[in-house]
Amino acid sequence: MTEYEAIIGLETHIQLNTETKIFCACKADSWGDPANSNICPVCSGLPGVLPVLNRAVVEKAVLLAKAMHAEVQSDSYFDRKNYFYPDLPKGYQITQNDHPIALGGYMDLPLPDGGTRKVGITKLHMEEDAGKTKHEHGRRLVDFNRCGVPLIEMVTAPDLRSADEVAAYLIRLRQLLRWLDISEADMEKGHLRADANVSIRLKGETGLNEKTEIKNVNSIESLRTAVEKEIARQIREVEAGNAIEAWTLDWDEDTQSLSKMRSKETMADYRYFKEPDLLVVRLDEAWESAILADFPELPLARRERFVREYGLPEYDADILTSERSLSDYFESVNQAYGGDPKRVSNWLMNDVLRLLNEQGLEAKDLKVTPGYLAEIIKLVDANTINTPTGKALLEKVQQTGQPPKEIVEAEGLAQVSDTGLIREIAARIVAENPDSVEKFRGGKEGLMGWFVGQVMRESKGKADPNLAREVLEELLKG
Amino acid sequence: MSAMELCDLSAYELAALIRKREISAVEALESTLERIELVDGRPGSLDAGEITAEDHAKVHAFITRTEETARAQAQAVDKSISEGVIPGPLAGVPYTVKDIFNVRGTRSTAGSRILSNYTAPYTATAVERMEKAGAVMLGKVNLDEFTHGSSSESSAYQPAPRNPWDTSKVPGGSSGGSTAAVAAGMGALSLGTDTGGSIRQPAAFCGVVGLKPTYGRVSRYGLIAFGSSLDCPGPVARNVRDAAMMLSVIAGPDRRDSTAVTIPVPDYTAEIEAGVKGMRIGLSPDFFKIQYFNHESGQMEEEPISDEIKQAVEQAADRLSEMGARVVENVPMPRTKYGIPTYFVISRVEVASNLHRFDGVKYGYRTPVPAEDLDELYRRTRAEGFGAQPKLRILMGMYVSAAQYSEQYYQRALRVRSLIRGDFERIYDPQGEYRLDALLTPATPTPAFGYGDVYGDTVLMQYADQFTVTGNHAGVPGLSLMGGLSKERLPLGIQLLGRDYDEATLLRIGRAFEVATEDAAWRKVRPQVLEGLS
Repeated sequence: MTEYEAIIGLETHIQLNTETKIFCACKADSWGDPANSNICPVCSGLPGVLPVLNRAVVEKAVLLAKAMHAEVQSDSYFDRKNYFYPDLPKGYQITQNDHPIALGGYMDLPLPDGGTRKVGITKLHMEEDAGKTKHEHGRRLVDFNRCGVPLIEMVTAPDLRSADEVAAYLIRLRQLLRWLDISEADMEKGHLRADANVSIRLKGETGLNEKTEIKNVNSIESLRTAVEKEIARQIREVEAGNAIEAWTLDWDEDTQSLSKMRSKETMADYRYFKEPDLLVVRLDEAWESAILADFPELPLARRERFVREYGLPEYDADILTSERSLSDYFESVNQAYGGDPKRVSNWLMNDVLRLLNEQGLEAKDLKVTPGYLAEIIKLVDANTINTPTGKALLEKVQQTGQPPKEIVEAEGLAQVSDTGLIREIAARIVAENPDSVEKFRGGKEGLMGWFVGQVMRESKGKADPNLAREVLEELLKG
Repeated sequence: MSAMELCDLSAYELAALIRKREISAVEALESTLERIELVDGRPGSLDAGEITAEDHAKVHAFITRTEETARAQAQAVDKSISEGVIPGPLAGVPYTVKDIFNVRGTRSTAGSRILSNYTAPYTATAVERMEKAGAVMLGKVNLDEFTHGSSSESSAYQPAPRNPWDTSKVPGGSSGGSTAAVAAGMGALSLGTDTGGSIRQPAAFCGVVGLKPTYGRVSRYGLIAFGSSLDCPGPVARNVRDAAMMLSVIAGPDRRDSTAVTIPVPDYTAEIEAGVKGMRIGLSPDFFKIQYFNHESGQMEEEPISDEIKQAVEQAADRLSEMGARVVENVPMPRTKYGIPTYFVISRVEVASNLHRFDGVKYGYRTPVPAEDLDELYRRTRAEGFGAQPKLRILMGMYVSAAQYSEQYYQRALRVRSLIRGDFERIYDPQGEYRLDALLTPATPTPAFGYGDVYGDTVLMQYADQFTVTGNHAGVPGLSLMGGLSKERLPLGIQLLGRDYDEATLLRIGRAFEVATEDAAWRKVRPQVLEGLS
């Protein structure tokens, strides 16, 4: 059986989360807005208008370039890419061609086997988005809302080797984009778009074979499936002695299948030339250092540090650094708590994450401040409250925003550690359930859990369960 | 000679009289409207029918007249002044706008069928500044289609403008409507544009003052682009002071144009009377011949320029010398001869791209023939909507920017352009050999040519811009003004080219020349169309 390997490169378009568009003052994000409601003479290409560059776009591009280890250029230029299409009102797209904002770069992609795949970046530049067209009732409609929305086009080298690596790369990229607050990076909403160039070759070969391009996929999972299917198709074709043709393939989400959009014939000539309406983008040292002044520790570095510094398992570190505000939250709780980081991690991974998912929040939006969570954990540690009460308390703090201690006092949640009171309750239960006592003594020791449960219930959950168990053992065995 | 009317007064005089309430803005306007009635004839239109003998005797500066809004603006100026508020330095001064600028609520055609039904929803920055200064817009004036020409004949709106000095001649172009209007008293000022000479050449043909400011001095926002790296909006006026006043109003940074520089704008009238004593003004032999590439012989060939123009320039140099300027002769400007070929490449690449947006999808003309598909819609719309000039320029622009030719043509032209810039840097270098304050040249190789004489020969037409176009490549300012009259009673234009952002010096020299020639016989002669008017 011949062994093949897949050679995959990704062309991504990242919609930046700036307030306004790249060359005018229109609102950038039109998600859910009516067609043509965020447009002006500039982005709809009226005669006589001129673009003016939004500095925030440059700033976000620099952040991404830095994170991708790319070389930020002090001078970069915009170019015109000329072509006709109804969604392109000027008849050219303003993009960067031969002097982009950054050159080179890579991402270190951790692989499941513990290794790392170094994914090269061959292109990273700023550009404007085009609009949208659709057919409706036999007419073709255009919506210019998206015209002029800022994008970064980022293209990888053909360095990915499987559908899983494609998904892993996009998950890491999405994490990074959100981490840097560059993009919402939501593939479903088109904030992050990825086309995959796929080819195969025999293992051990070094050349590149004809590739196909997969377009119009709008989730990471679907892209994984699409790439998997395309690799399988190419292997089948080659095995059958057929040549791979340079097709562009369209993904159909409903049928989960690829179909041929067009053959790639000759390369279009876009007649690029420098955009005379914009000046050189000069990134002087002062501006660059201002942009990079608050450059954060990146997720992979932080993940590694969490393992090293806090002794967390890789698994915990990975989840805690999946999102920047969660990882910040972890560190703040940990600092306020001052105890075992793994204990804090457990609280975050079990209870805090559930809360965040249920309420659709980010950690930074929690009413349970890091200080409050540390306090809750300490209350449990000190046996002031038991663990279930602690978890309930977390929810209450999130609902009310009140300090945990106040809630504990106001609601009398403090755990009963009074042996006398617990003994009284336990004795009553033992007296009221002679049958169960009989069975327990006859060897059904599993009933201990039931007895403890009864004590907890009688004490309205406030009894220290360990203490209850001790007392019960004494009463039942004694 | 006929009596002077209010409409013949300069912007400076009109503004002063109106400010002092000696006349009203409405009176100034009515006088101007009356002049338009007398001399302009019918405005340009797409379905002009036969051009009659009567048409031949008129100026036809306008495409769209805006009398009603003009009256409202003039009344508002008068009301404001009666309440003690001066709306601005040009309050009540009637002016026209080349129909390449967007003015909200008016038809903005660019002289093309493809924009025949286009009403602009916003106003160009330069026009907005004129409005704010209190100037009263009379309407939109004719031009070569998309500014592509040097005679104004290529407009889709016929009859095309004619030269007020001799209506059998062209007014020049592409701002021919602007210069003809100003010469004939149809507005004291006009807002034009200059990409290769389109203000200075028609100003020379019509005997008025035309100023191409430094690239970036006046915002291009709202100007329908031709060659984006070359286009400069600028004033057309009857004298230097008026041009200076207008430049002070329209110049300056604009947050909607990132190529509009942030350098502060001086009051260009402040030093205008300071004279030329001690100034160094150059004459270059490279501006006293036409050099062109003969595609039959394959050689660069030379032809002399009009003797009368040569003499006008030499006499101007003498006058300035008498006033204390130092005239520096034999200043080499060796790349002048490459100006036109370089322009043929750069402007075409830019315009091919700039005209992409006219596709029948969003606004403007769309073919009435139902199209099978999108490509057919584009093809038909553009084939029917564009005239010959835009089509030729698009074709050439597409060709020289194509991947396989770009290096040979476009990239090379850009390198030549920086060499041309180098010529200017050398002569203005304060540490250099020449240390010039300005270069004095002919504005055009010949006086106004006959209607229909050159039209159709795109290459020959373009050579009308040989002396102006290098200023656009280099970005430097240029002032064109009348330097005499030919035996045929046609204006002879001289040009002053200056340093970056130093329009003030050019205006000062221009004003000194006006003072020096105040009593010259040719100053007393008025354009033919004004003769016999009472």
